[in-house]
Amino acid sequence: MSAFAKREYAISIFLGFALFAMAITYLTNFSIPMKFFLPGMFFLFAFVVGPILYTVAMSAFHYETGNYISKPEAITQILSTGVRPDANQTTFDIVIGEDAGKKLEILASDPTNKKYFISSETTKIDLDPSTLKIDENGDVATAPGFHALTPSEQSALDAQLGSARFTYSSDYFITIEGGTLGSLKRQTLVYDKGTDTFKNVLTGDAYKDNGTGDFANIKNKADILQPGWRAPIWFSNYTKLFTDPQIRKPLIRVFIWTVVFASLTVLTQFALGLLIAVVMNRKLFGRRIYRSIIILPYAMPSIMSILIWGGMFDTEFGAINHLFGTHVHWFQSPLYARMAVIIVNLWLGFPYFYLITSGALQAIPAELSEAAAIDGATSGQIFRKITLPLLLQVVSPLLVASFAFNFNNFNIIYLLTGGGPANTLGGDVAGSTDILISYTYKIAFGAGTQNLGLASAISVVIFFIIASISLYGIRRSKVLDSFA
Amino acid sequence: MKRWLKEDLWRHAIALVTCFFVLFPIYLVILSALSPTGSLQVTSFIPKTISFRNFSMLFTSPKIPYLVWMKNSLVIAGVVAILSVVIGAASAFAFSRLRFKGKKQGLQLLLLVQMFPAILSLSAVYVIMSRVYSFAPRIGLGTQPGLLLVYMGGAMGVNIWLLKGFVDSIPMELDEAAKVDGASAVQTYWLIFVPLAAPVLAVVSLLSFIGTFNEFILARLFLVDMHARTIAVGLQGFISGQYASNWGPFAAGSIIASIPLIAIFLSLQRYIISGLTAGSVKG
Repeated sequence: MSAFAKREYAISIFLGFALFAMAITYLTNFSIPMKFFLPGMFFLFAFVVGPILYTVAMSAFHYETGNYISKPEAITQILSTGVRPDANQTTFDIVIGEDAGKKLEILASDPTNKKYFISSETTKIDLDPSTLKIDENGDVATAPGFHALTPSEQSALDAQLGSARFTYSSDYFITIEGGTLGSLKRQTLVYDKGTDTFKNVLTGDAYKDNGTGDFANIKNKADILQPGWRAPIWFSNYTKLFTDPQIRKPLIRVFIWTVVFASLTVLTQFALGLLIAVVMNRKLFGRRIYRSIIILPYAMPSIMSILIWGGMFDTEFGAINHLFGTHVHWFQSPLYARMAVIIVNLWLGFPYFYLITSGALQAIPAELSEAAAIDGATSGQIFRKITLPLLLQVVSPLLVASFAFNFNNFNIIYLLTGGGPANTLGGDVAGSTDILISYTYKIAFGAGTQNLGLASAISVVIFFIIASISLYGIRRSKVLDSFA
Repeated sequence: MKRWLKEDLWRHAIALVTCFFVLFPIYLVILSALSPTGSLQVTSFIPKTISFRNFSMLFTSPKIPYLVWMKNSLVIAGVVAILSVVIGAASAFAFSRLRFKGKKQGLQLLLLVQMFPAILSLSAVYVIMSRVYSFAPRIGLGTQPGLLLVYMGGAMGVNIWLLKGFVDSIPMELDEAAKVDGASAVQTYWLIFVPLAAPVLAVVSLLSFIGTFNEFILARLFLVDMHARTIAVGLQGFISGQYASNWGPFAAGSIIASIPLIAIFLSLQRYIISGLTAGSVKG
């Protein structure tokens, strides 16, 4: 129950509910099916359904770099950074200490004006110079009733000292800059709780909550205070996908490439797999050896294969250029980078389709093609008119599934090209080989501004695309019939 | 003889070209693993000198905790494979055999959930686990147990779905006979279903094992500490940054890491393939 103590209410409610359900299920005979389900459901809800719902929720928030924290936290931060030194940049020589009641104080010396005072966070007491022992620099080190802190005592109070504000005048206060220097500052940004506005006391500008997680200048909407907070903006992240040209343009480009990439991948993998299956669909000397070799890419850890291919496409040292005697900058040109991605994916995936199609070919009754042959059909005709249609009927759900899988094939893009080449000088996040999912990953976790809200919105859109593709595939494979 | 040429020669030609395509990268990996320079730089496709320096480096260099990575991967993948199938099988049995309210909705939810690609909810998983870390540092972000929990969740959907297909193929008469003899659902599960499905359970857990062993993104996000890494994350570290730098040890490490997977796959390919066609594509 320590989750509750740490204010993680959602998690503690979930855990509490899980414990309760477990007790009911396994201690009573309330529901037999639940005894089978509960552990599986626990994991599914905790680590799959939960994150999905969280993603959907995040997509309704203004949630990006500069807007990560809650509103009260943001107000506190703006207040603590909204201070300016006074016009003369006045500083004091200070000694950090305590009063008799262990209250933090500073003993400040102003050698030029011969002014000395002790200041705490609530009071300021001016001292009479004649009662003090002033050294050759014009500073004082001790005063009656003032107890200086040793360096080790100071370092123990580090966090407190950094944020402490010592009284000077009604507008100004002193903060500690290093161990022996205090500087005079004033609060320039003042928060008014009643109207929920910040006011800059120097310029007179007022900053109002703009409804999307920032305090914005009333006169100039683009002038906002940092940091903002994660505010609910409902469907703005979604509408931005279609209305904001800076987001829409790369998104459309990436989407088109994603579809092209997934289709080309499935097409090439299936074509080569089928070709091999047809070629080896008869007793052939050494067929077992061929087969064992051809399924190797499928058996190897794909991450390592992708990384190795990445090295092979290297311009200077890569084996591909060496083999063909070329000097192609594979990953610098969009066209070549795209070709490389397709080639590597072909290597990784065609054995799968070889295995599938060779199984399916064997399942087609030989009588059909024999009958066609007797009727005078050529082998090409038999293949096109009989074998292929029958085959497609069997494998089309798998083709659809493979399309859906490659639509989100993050690993190959991320590990092979990193989505590049990208025109980084032009400020593009999306590279030429970025597919939707790697583009989303960059938006959420990339090097520049990280926009979790927008990334979540794109994620939800991708989900609907994939779900409709998959549902189409499932309809065809008639899995849903078993529900009825 | 002439007929043989006409019928089979082109088949051999295509098969050989494909084998070349398949073997070319694999040959290069072996080549650079055995090269003393430790780069993927090709000067000649036939090695002049053969050295096992890269292999010995993996096991002796104090900077490369290769065996620790390997152990991490095997342990994490092993635990996920076993636990996720044990838990998934129970749910699959219930979905296939028991009658209860909301069965259809449950199956639809399972299907829908599977369509949401895991990487998309990555940021959410990250935030959730960093919150878990705040009260339970041992199972939160950055820990192996935390990663294991997330993997378990991810494996659940696929496994339940695959296993349900297998349970469906076990004849209903067996259950009914057991029921007539007075067996409860729990007894039917343990005494009838589990022994019958044992080979299938083994294959599905094997698929989970391979999938987990191959997983990279979550592992990289979770495991920052050098000694906590899995083999995929550890090996990627060799060559990320500047290319052509540490290809030798990377290649050697990849070969050793691939051997168990390839061995498992080749020996059980018949079963694995039937499992794959039943429900999913390699992930």
